[in-house]
Amino acid sequence: MGKRNSHGDFAGGPRKRQRIVHEAPTSEDVHTSRQLRQLLAFDSDGVRARHGLQSFKLFLDELLAGGDSHPDRLQILREYLDSTTPSESEDEGSRVYLSDIMQTWSHASQPSNDNVISAVVVALALLLKLLSQKLELVPVGLGICRTLLQKRQLELISRALSADKGKAFIISPTLRLLKEAISFDGGAVAKPIFRARAFTLKSLARNMGIVHIGEQDEEAAKRPSARTNAVLFLLNALKFLHPEAKKELLSQRDVVSALTRDLKQDPPYLVIQLLDTLRDYVLLDDKVPREAKSSLLGAATLIRISSLYYYRQNTSTEPSLPSIPDKAHDFLMNACTTPSCGVLRQDMGLYPRETDPDATLPTAELEELGLEAIVWMKRFKTEVPVRNYVLSNFLQNLRPWSSTKQSELVTAIFKAAPELVADFFINNKSFTFEPKLSTTWIGYAAFLFNAVMLPIPDYFCRGSGFSELPPPTSIVIDNILPLPLNQKVLVRCLAHKSKMVSFFATRILVLAVQKLDTAVRMHQDLSHFNKSLWAEAARRLVDEFCQRSPSIIDMINSYRSISEDDILHREAASHLLRLCYEVIPQVALMAKFDVSPFLETALRRLAKREQSEDPKDIALSLKQLENLLAIAGYSPGMRWFSTSDSITFSPFTALLRVYVEAPHGVALTKVWRVLDFVAMEHQLVPAYTAHPGLLPLLGALQSLNKSSAKSVLEIWPFLDKCLTRCATAPIKYLEMMQTIIQEAPGLPSQGISAAVISPITFAILEQLPFAEKAANQGVLRALKKFLPTFIGLLVAAGESRPLLEVALSKMSAHFTKGLDGLPSTEAAYELLAEVKHVDQSGDSAAKKTNPLGRSREGQTITHIDDEELQEVLDITDSLSVDNSALTKWASKTVDELVDEGYAVSLISLLVSEHASIRKEALINILKMAAKIKQSEYDEKEQVWLLLSELAETAKGGGVGDGPLPSPVVAFACHAVRMLKDPLSVLYPKINGFLTRGPVWSLDRLPLVDEVLAEDPSAVDSYYAQLSWLLSYLLDSLRTDQDLELFHKKRANGPLLERLLALAGNSYMRLPLRIQLLKLLYRATGIKGGSTTLTTRFGIVSWLEAQVAWCQDRDGREARLYEALRRRVWETCDRERVGEWSRKGAVVVVEGENET
Amino acid sequence: MKMAENKSNQEIAAEFTSYYLQRVTKEFAEDLDKVRSADDFKSDAALPLLINALQQGTALFSPEEQRRIVTAEAAAATEESQSGKKYLSTI
Repeated sequence: MGKRNSHGDFAGGPRKRQRIVHEAPTSEDVHTSRQLRQLLAFDSDGVRARHGLQSFKLFLDELLAGGDSHPDRLQILREYLDSTTPSESEDEGSRVYLSDIMQTWSHASQPSNDNVISAVVVALALLLKLLSQKLELVPVGLGICRTLLQKRQLELISRALSADKGKAFIISPTLRLLKEAISFDGGAVAKPIFRARAFTLKSLARNMGIVHIGEQDEEAAKRPSARTNAVLFLLNALKFLHPEAKKELLSQRDVVSALTRDLKQDPPYLVIQLLDTLRDYVLLDDKVPREAKSSLLGAATLIRISSLYYYRQNTSTEPSLPSIPDKAHDFLMNACTTPSCGVLRQDMGLYPRETDPDATLPTAELEELGLEAIVWMKRFKTEVPVRNYVLSNFLQNLRPWSSTKQSELVTAIFKAAPELVADFFINNKSFTFEPKLSTTWIGYAAFLFNAVMLPIPDYFCRGSGFSELPPPTSIVIDNILPLPLNQKVLVRCLAHKSKMVSFFATRILVLAVQKLDTAVRMHQDLSHFNKSLWAEAARRLVDEFCQRSPSIIDMINSYRSISEDDILHREAASHLLRLCYEVIPQVALMAKFDVSPFLETALRRLAKREQSEDPKDIALSLKQLENLLAIAGYSPGMRWFSTSDSITFSPFTALLRVYVEAPHGVALTKVWRVLDFVAMEHQLVPAYTAHPGLLPLLGALQSLNKSSAKSVLEIWPFLDKCLTRCATAPIKYLEMMQTIIQEAPGLPSQGISAAVISPITFAILEQLPFAEKAANQGVLRALKKFLPTFIGLLVAAGESRPLLEVALSKMSAHFTKGLDGLPSTEAAYELLAEVKHVDQSGDSAAKKTNPLGRSREGQTITHIDDEELQEVLDITDSLSVDNSALTKWASKTVDELVDEGYAVSLISLLVSEHASIRKEALINILKMAAKIKQSEYDEKEQVWLLLSELAETAKGGGVGDGPLPSPVVAFACHAVRMLKDPLSVLYPKINGFLTRGPVWSLDRLPLVDEVLAEDPSAVDSYYAQLSWLLSYLLDSLRTDQDLELFHKKRANGPLLERLLALAGNSYMRLPLRIQLLKLLYRATGIKGGSTTLTTRFGIVSWLEAQVAWCQDRDGREARLYEALRRRVWETCDRERVGEWSRKGAVVVVEGENET
Repeated sequence: MKMAENKSNQEIAAEFTSYYLQRVTKEFAEDLDKVRSADDFKSDAALPLLINALQQGTALFSPEEQRRIVTAEAAAATEESQSGKKYLSTI
């Protein structure tokens, strides 16, 4: 702000601006250019000068107002300008346009005749404005502008601009004149005007502070104030100046500060122009340097612009203008969330400024201290250092609870700079969530809902992968349950007498638990290097969450207190409970919560529905039912098969009825899943993957329902009894099955494993005599229809047909006219397929997310098929036996034997399946060794030694009894190739190995430890050695005996385990990884290979980790791993693997196949 | 009338929001009256704030769930028949 002039002040007293009264000057109409020239000729008399200038002003006013309707007047002006244009002979710099007016101006400023000065600048400003609209007169206008830039005029301008504050009548038109000049002809003279900024920008900041004062008359108040003119001049400057000049202009703090100081009092058109110009010519101008934008948009400017949210706009007087609060909102949204606008700085998500998430800490320290080893882990509970300090300051001045728009802005800023979430709530101490049914509290709740709903930043750090160290737990929890949401307040909210308060709190908690789930999963990601550290952080996170969230008991009590009719509220509360069971089961299961009564209530409510009820309400109630079912599935205390006085059937049967009798179109996939799960758990149906589970029963019931709805109603009590009995004593029915197996023709020889059949069948068989005794004709009729279909469907489901036929004939005996035969196989298959289709069609949503919770949506991975996989990974067995090698070598020279592979071919014959060939080969190897030893071959000693040791080993291993283990032979083959070159990387190691003893152990793989565990013999040769090792090992893996050597327990762990660990080396190149994959592929081709790989080496998880690791970098490699995983699954013993992984492997592999 | 399954996600979301608001105003009618009579309820800013806060809850329903609930009406209407009427009538 400009310094105040203290002349004439009363010391200490309030200062009043003196009111200046202007006498209106006289004027006359202009008819000729000659008259105009005379009027504007220099006159030292102030009155006459004003008379002339006033006449000119009115003349220009008329021209400006009338457009082109005064051609004669324009002609007069043109003639006048022609007559005053200086001759071209003069020097460009000293040519003075309108020399008379300039002289008048200069003269008036000597004794300071303010009225004349004002009249001059008013006339000049108008003239420039007019000339800018007339293309043919633009050169004259440019001449006038250049005249203004001459030293004499600049001094006059500067003096006018710095006139006393009260002389707005001089300041305003001068600013108008400058505004016209700087924008004249597309800013042709903007640059020189800025260059002369010592004069042209004189007192700009002060002038932007001169506003109308209250006591002025209405007419004066309507005229633009000096501030308005100053702001418009500055905005025009920003429009037409080059980026560097803008930067310099914006670096003047007083100017920037003055620009927005009184923004809230400015007229709407000015505010709109200001926001638009700043947006278009500063914020969105890529050429304006970032620091210029930053100096404009400091916290103070942002706060002032945000005061426009409360701008009082009279829409009745200016209906066409856009809403100022909306404009300001758009501006701020843009400015605060776009990185190029100079405010937003790149942050590191949930890692505060002073942390180094990729710091390498000593392993020993991490192992001993865990998270405590990270010094900053607990540092940010009361203060978070942020990079976005401007936004941090700005946010504290917003009131997101009082307006939707401000809430939207804060949320958008949080999203753009996640580091600010924790910082905001830590600093905002006044922000409490103490429940109270008021608009402000609801505003709080809505804002917190938005804050909790924000996604967790990618990988916590907004990078392309997880960092080494987990983010500070306090920051993560502040993002999940912000500070105002503490346990005390939340408990009060849930128990509040006003149910809406509890509803709002419940909704926020639902979001929070979902977010916690995501955060925990991110902590458990397979790609973390230091898994135990992240796991510890995840545990801490859950602990912190439990300390902030209300206990499960509070949630249950809240659910209990909700009226049955408040289905929306009930849905939300049951959703919350369900999430607790899913995400924090350790806490949820602490409370003894019997869900059965609630399930009953929900089922009863669905049963009682009235005709008039909105079908949407029913769908919503069904969602609540789904939640309860899920909770029931999780809670161990759920009694699915117990009946009580209050309900007719067990919950399982009741649910079965919901499923069977539901109107068409209501999606009940989840109900089906629960039924299927419970049935399998209670051994009502066989529990192996290929079996369709409960589908045959559901299919038979639905088919009966379709043909005769009444029959289904009859059958329920009987079926309930059977189901309950079967669930409570499954062993009994398994024994019964064994008895019947003895009776079935041909079955006893196959044993029980071939005779899989649903135990429920035997429960029905056992209960039939009682039904017969009761002689309820309705039930018997219904069963007569139901049983053949049911048995038929079981046959179609792949259960033992002979056994089922025996069962059916036994059942038939209880009906007077016997039962019908089984339906045709085609009909049964068709029906089963139909049920399957219905059950799984509504399931698309569920399948997108596999049970591990990772969404596979949007991934368009084209699978590598088996053929392609084989092409990439399958290589032919190099130890393939060529018997001609026995004779071929004899005629070759020693060099040829070694270099051209004759020796290798001969050695390979030791794996031949024919004893005679092996013996022959052994003799030939000895002969070859002798031949080599006697030769002049450079490496004869080593090759001889190798062959002799191999021969000794083969002799000791009983070459007549069976092929030599492939590793021994493969090693010999690969070693020969190395020995011929003393410079090869493995030469020293192989020689060392050969000199160690005359016979090799058949139980070990030669040289593996030396390569994997010892230092490479030459610098930089590790990977070369590894490559050799992998190719030799690939040749070593041919039979199941070989595989045994690979997975045998050893001092350093099984070889396969060590090989899989190699892939953890992120520096290992793709070709080596492919070699490893070839080895694994080879293993999958060996009998029992895939099963061993899965059950003993966790190959499925290993491949999954590899997929996760390379997914973002190399899609093809990821697909290769996936294809290999499929291959492992296809070639393993699925039943055993399924059992071993408790179906986890099935889920992983099949879930993958479905995408 | 457009068939339920042909509706775009936006249409479904709009219909669901309207259903949600209708449901929420029904369940919390009493509380909403209290809020409207509270001191800090200034009509110009408070009403949009309140409506916005109420309808936020739709975010807790996935698009599939919203579709299921919105289209329940159509499904029930087509099936308003024998089996539908006796659905669960005797539990």
